Amino acid sequence: MKKITLSLALALTALASGCANLEHSRDVANPAVTGKVMAEQTCSMCHGVDGNSINPTFPKLAGQQKEYLSDELKFFRSHNRSDPAGSEYMWGISRHLTDQQIAQLADYYAAQKRIPQPSTNVPLEELGKNIFLNGIQDGARTVPACQTCHGADAHGHGVFPYIAGQHADYIRKQLDIFKETEERDEKVGEMMKNETHDLSSEEMKAVAAYIATMP
Amino acid sequence: MSVLHKKATGSIGSQPRGRGSRLGFDRADTQITTMRWMTAGLLAASSLAVSLDASATPIFARQTGQNCMACHAGGQFPELTPYGRLFKLTGFTLGKRTPIPLAVMGVFGSTTVGPAQTPAPSSPGHTATDGTPTFYTGSIFAGGKITDNIGMLAQYTWGNYNGSNGASFGGGSDNTDIRYANRVISNNNDIIYGVSLNNNPGVEDVWNSSQTWGYGVVPGSTGSPAGYTILDGGLAAQAVGADAYLYWNKAIYAEVGAYRTGNGVFSFLTQNNGGQAYLANTSPYVRLAYTHEWGAQNIEVGYTFFDADVFEGTDTLGNTYTNSGPYDEHRDNAFDFQYQYLLDPHTVTFEFSRINEVINPNGAGAVNFTGALGQGQVNETKAKVSYTYKARYGAALGYYNFSSNAAFAGYQANAGTTATDYFGDGTVTAFVPEIFFIPVQNVRIGLQYTMYTQIPTQTAANQTFTGANANGQPWNSSDFNEAFLYVWAAY
Repeated sequence: MKKITLSLALALTALASGCANLEHSRDVANPAVTGKVMAEQTCSMCHGVDGNSINPTFPKLAGQQKEYLSDELKFFRSHNRSDPAGSEYMWGISRHLTDQQIAQLADYYAAQKRIPQPSTNVPLEELGKNIFLNGIQDGARTVPACQTCHGADAHGHGVFPYIAGQHADYIRKQLDIFKETEERDEKVGEMMKNETHDLSSEEMKAVAAYIATMP
Repeated sequence: MSVLHKKATGSIGSQPRGRGSRLGFDRADTQITTMRWMTAGLLAASSLAVSLDASATPIFARQTGQNCMACHAGGQFPELTPYGRLFKLTGFTLGKRTPIPLAVMGVFGSTTVGPAQTPAPSSPGHTATDGTPTFYTGSIFAGGKITDNIGMLAQYTWGNYNGSNGASFGGGSDNTDIRYANRVISNNNDIIYGVSLNNNPGVEDVWNSSQTWGYGVVPGSTGSPAGYTILDGGLAAQAVGADAYLYWNKAIYAEVGAYRTGNGVFSFLTQNNGGQAYLANTSPYVRLAYTHEWGAQNIEVGYTFFDADVFEGTDTLGNTYTNSGPYDEHRDNAFDFQYQYLLDPHTVTFEFSRINEVINPNGAGAVNFTGALGQGQVNETKAKVSYTYKARYGAALGYYNFSSNAAFAGYQANAGTTATDYFGDGTVTAFVPEIFFIPVQNVRIGLQYTMYTQIPTQTAANQTFTGANANGQPWNSSDFNEAFLYVWAAY
């Protein structure tokens, strides 16, 4: 019993010492933790170690444009992005991020390779492909082609995000948020509100289905 | 007073229900129940309304700044999401250390029971099952992130009622889990490993299909009773153990642990548990699981082994023991499975477990040393399916089936209680439908109904069913049904 007591005392001493382990830290409020460690130890729990999340609740970050990802993290930090899933998960995680950590996180994910989703509904994806490439000109309805800003390969550029291979459910929900709410930041929100204004629910589903399969 | 009633209320919440008795210490009416779901609940209740950020939420919410539903499937604590499981496996260390690492939780409700178990009112005037609105139980939690590798959750619970006699109870040690964990990531490997010091075999588990955290619905409820087996809470707040675990590539989980009596320097983990169970030997614990996640779905298939030698309370000669004399070996083998679909606005969960326990006597004077009774056998099956919409509206259906043989009743009788203890022998089956509403993420309001469809055969020797209905006929299983209306909140 004495040995056990001694061991406990040593363990408690170790507890009290509060030593940091910066290489394997999940501390979201320590500026000394690098973006890479943060991505591996914390962000990966939802977004995957390689940035290819499994559950569509969480967007894939692999290959994401640095500028876009930096902006979004700052929008979460400042609460300028308040869509439900984003705020419920990301406000807390981003609240103490430094600009340097954000830049490192953006570098980390930009270097990852995105893995597209498999095709599941060809007719729907074909409809989506047409919208992606050509937009919609249908009487009073005007929807610009997605490729205009996101590129023919949907890999984006700068503030225009890499959307190829993204979870269809995530894209569809975000399109709906752009169209119906003011929950996205002004920078992206206003731009995409114009794009989604004339997009029907079924068309959102179609374009999301196609984009998800793009390599 | 029927024993069923005693069972239903003898422990606060859904816990041990007289299990202690068969282990040689009578705590059926004196122990504070280990409220595992509470722990999970609070832990999990790790966040409040988003707009409140971290200022008004339980410990883990303040620590991560996230919503409860990040860690709890559809917001229904204590069921964990894949992220919640990783949070626990990495030692509760994700987030920011909180300056005041405390949280509280309480349950207010009203229980109404069927005619077969109508309680006899006594001081202070009503019991916990006569329909009177009652503050059932409350807990205070301490814990969260301590260092980058160490975290903990410790619970102290206060219960308003001590079983069916209406007397007040008091407080006692409850679920405690102190962890060291680390995560190492390389090109092809993602390894989480750690050690847990805890006071209940299974409290360290992360799957809802395990006994400690699964099927627990609400503190104070009758819908998730502890079964007969020692793995199902039989040593809750009685033993202390250390478990080493490893989780590889979010696919393979392996854990090995050892438990001993929670006395001496560890007695702070078992205080006021209504009588200490003494283990004759170090009790091995093994947990293996395979997990897979695809799209919005994930599954787990698991196995658990636990072997505990518990001293009998009384031998066949009438001698009373505490930490010596004959003991019974309880060997449990359990299979469990769980499934989750998690994608807003829908959350579907399913969990299942099956435990087989074999009991063998050891030592002269042990109840079945001569083998006259045969080997004690217990089988316990539990299942639950639940659905929540927008993490706000939910419904669940639980099921349990407990069965044991005559020899098991003999062990119970020897362990200081009568063979008539509820579930003492025979088979009990019940369905537990429930509806609930989560107005804000740390408050849950629900109505639960326990429908008994099978009860042990009524015999003259089985006083559980002493009495008769108004027509002089034996009670039907439905005469034991119970309704539970509750408000469960954490802060």
